[in-house]
Amino acid sequence: MRHQKRRFRRRAKVCRFTVEKINYIDYKDIDLLREYTPTNGKILPRRVTGTNPAFQHKLSRAIKRARHMALMPYVGD
Amino acid sequence: MPLYELGLIIDPEAGPEDEEAVFGRIEGILTEAGGTVVDKDAWGRRQLAYSINKKSHGIYHFWKIEVGGEVMKNLNFELRTNDMVMRSLILNLDTELRRHRKGERLQAAKAAKKAAKAERRAESAQAES
Repeated sequence: MRHQKRRFRRRAKVCRFTVEKINYIDYKDIDLLREYTPTNGKILPRRVTGTNPAFQHKLSRAIKRARHMALMPYVGD
Repeated sequence: MPLYELGLIIDPEAGPEDEEAVFGRIEGILTEAGGTVVDKDAWGRRQLAYSINKKSHGIYHFWKIEVGGEVMKNLNFELRTNDMVMRSLILNLDTELRRHRKGERLQAAKAAKKAAKAERRAESAQAES
């Protein structure tokens, strides 16, 4: 059988923080952080969101701070 | 003196006078060390993402304070031992924002360079014509 042509083309993932030039991720900005955690409360990996390593590090720190301050859940539903 | 950000969650069952007492004590510690409260941001009563001490709500306060680092021992002790304070978090904004400020500086420099280049180009185009 011949190799079938791929029907879907994956869209290139971009790091939002690089594009929008957000240099500091505040733990109080819950709406932003919520985009990087599904309802189960886990932090989405870089390979899913396309965030670049430096920002992923800052993002995960901000999420963990938000969790400490009960702004975000440690475990979701 | 570095700029700090202090986040507080206060017991929702505390009355306004209890809240004032907590603030009074914190401010007392700060002013004693020659610090100042730069900004007060009160979020008010909010639902917690998970219950703390069987409480589902908390009163959120975020302050920006300018104080020497040596107070942190006293301040942390006060925040830990005060029953009205459910959670607290202190961040050193100077170190937090260092990268941010550097990034902004770099961006500004880049923009200035670009503007200068465009100007030069316009000038040379004018000279040719």
